[in-house]
Amino acid sequence: MKKKDSKIVGSNLEQEQARKTFSGITLKELYTPEDVQNIDYDKDIAASGEYPFTRGIYRDMYRGRLWTSREITGLGTPTQTNERLKFELESGARGLDVISDMPGQMGIDTDHPRAKGEVGRLGASLTTLLEMEQMLDGIPCDQITFVFDNSPAHLASTTLAQYLVANEKRGISKDKLNFTIQNDPWHIFLCGGGAAGEERPLNLALKVRTDVLEYAVREGIQLYNQVNLYDMRELGVTAPQEIAFAFSIAIAYMDEALKRGLTIDEIVSRTAFVCSCQVDFFEEIAKFRAARRMWARLIRERYKSENKRSWRFRFGVHTAGCSLYPQQIQNNIVRVAYQVLAAALGGAQAIVPCCFDEPVSTPTAESHRLALRTQQIVAHELGITNVTDPLGGSYYVESLTNKVEEEANAVLRKIEELGGAGEALRTRWFDKQGEKSSIQHIKEIETGERIIVGVNAFTMHEEKTAGSFHRYDPEAERMVVAQLKELKQRRDNDKVRKALEKIQAQAEQSERGDNINLIPAIIEAVRVYATLGEICGMMRQGYGYTYDVFDGIRAIY
Amino acid sequence: MASDKIIRVILAKVGLDSHERGVRVIASALREAGMEVVYLGCHQIAEGIVRTVMEEDADVVGLSCHGGEHFSVGEIARLMKESNLDDVLLLVGGIFPREDIPELKEMGVDEVFMGSLPGPVVKYIKQNVRTK
Repeated sequence: MKKKDSKIVGSNLEQEQARKTFSGITLKELYTPEDVQNIDYDKDIAASGEYPFTRGIYRDMYRGRLWTSREITGLGTPTQTNERLKFELESGARGLDVISDMPGQMGIDTDHPRAKGEVGRLGASLTTLLEMEQMLDGIPCDQITFVFDNSPAHLASTTLAQYLVANEKRGISKDKLNFTIQNDPWHIFLCGGGAAGEERPLNLALKVRTDVLEYAVREGIQLYNQVNLYDMRELGVTAPQEIAFAFSIAIAYMDEALKRGLTIDEIVSRTAFVCSCQVDFFEEIAKFRAARRMWARLIRERYKSENKRSWRFRFGVHTAGCSLYPQQIQNNIVRVAYQVLAAALGGAQAIVPCCFDEPVSTPTAESHRLALRTQQIVAHELGITNVTDPLGGSYYVESLTNKVEEEANAVLRKIEELGGAGEALRTRWFDKQGEKSSIQHIKEIETGERIIVGVNAFTMHEEKTAGSFHRYDPEAERMVVAQLKELKQRRDNDKVRKALEKIQAQAEQSERGDNINLIPAIIEAVRVYATLGEICGMMRQGYGYTYDVFDGIRAIY
Repeated sequence: MASDKIIRVILAKVGLDSHERGVRVIASALREAGMEVVYLGCHQIAEGIVRTVMEEDADVVGLSCHGGEHFSVGEIARLMKESNLDDVLLLVGGIFPREDIPELKEMGVDEVFMGSLPGPVVKYIKQNVRTK
């Protein structure tokens, strides 16, 4: 018996909801032993901590070690970011997570004309070593783990260099550091990285990406290079596509690293993943389980690794930003809470929830704290951490895990038929899938086939955004740019010039086929306060691209 | 009211943010509604957008803003006024607080769409586009 409330404006409850998952997998009304009768427990599921790790990568999972709770952070001046990071640690965050602002992501300095109005808005400003030093002030990098969501390769390289040198200067040697950089430049081309109309510099990105990984292995630095499944989902693709697209990129990265003479185990020991968590509760849990099994099989069977540690799919979860809406904004608190729960039931090693106010602005301190509290409640009050893979054995969840894996493998085969991730990027095949899925998704919302509370059901008129939200501070940009200009004057520009010339020369040599790992030269440049724009520009010139991604400014050296 | 003439729309993202999904979906919906749509892509600058509006004899320009750069929209509105493009609808969508809407409208924006489905955008354009 359907209940109709005529007072609810715009409710579409009369429409029949489709009996499919978010990703379109058809669902039965009830799952029974018949649905799982062909599953071989030891071969296909196994205990947690045992190949193929369907149930979790460690035997004891959260009993042994709780997931690391983090919040993506970056705002205003480096000092303001530093204050927010310390606030998070005080609020119980077990790790930190920083993203760079858009000028950094694009490879331009904060005093570039196109950076105006963008400095410290969507992330932290990390143009030089000085900013990194300011951001890390008082933070014990030898005791906590850092994640830098700095996907473009130029940014991954300068972040690595800045993090190493800043800590070295504070007396923390590189062997004491354990950190992650989202060294995933290919996926970011999919999400609009690079200037509009600019040809995607896939080769340069891959080379620098591999330099970062190779350097970490050869220098014994515990740096995880994070492959990003999350942004795939933000494009609008399905859960199977999320796994397949990102795995195909990971495969391209691993194949390139193997060419450098690294072993598969060395490569994987420095690899980690970040997945999305969308709203379809059971599909997301099935997705995490399927991804673990697929990875284990890929590394053991295709790459012939004999090291059990390499078979483990180590992943963090960032809850899906695109599942949040500005209408009745506090509803997002509930969405995020369920996504955190799904990530925990799915066995994530780290959880990085969105904040409820992100459809409107960068999170406030209060909303960051609330997101941490959400995790803490899930971790300490709900009792779900007492048992590993509590949903394992559910007829539904095991069937759905199989189905997601089957569909993901089909997409992965399709990508390989196309020629791999590189070709899928070059031909914009990935882009087209994302656009198709996004359009389909919106149509389902418009017809009411997909219900979003507050958006096409239970809507109400709102005059203002509930609660308070972060306001950008233009003074922060002024301070950051002024500091950079002053730094450029007082640094030893002769040393900077020499260091930059070396980077370009080595990039040129690499482009000709005689590869040199650029990281040592980048570290030298960072040490004398070269900027990320300068370093990026030199690498680009070495590969025959314009110095400036917008071709608006010329190199001064 | 709109005549039988095909409505011409220019869409663009301003600023450095590259989250294109929303604007691409709008482009698709407008095309399906029979409009001619040119999507310029990310990282567009004011002068370029306004020049394209003139060259394409556009009826509507839609801007997608995600990173707090929506106030650069003011520059576009100003340039459009200077170029006698007052009769072109100026629409803005993306991520920003509802509280900024009055100020955007004061700058010359005709309508603002936050987290919107395409339906209302199509409807608004059809009802408000000014025939020349």
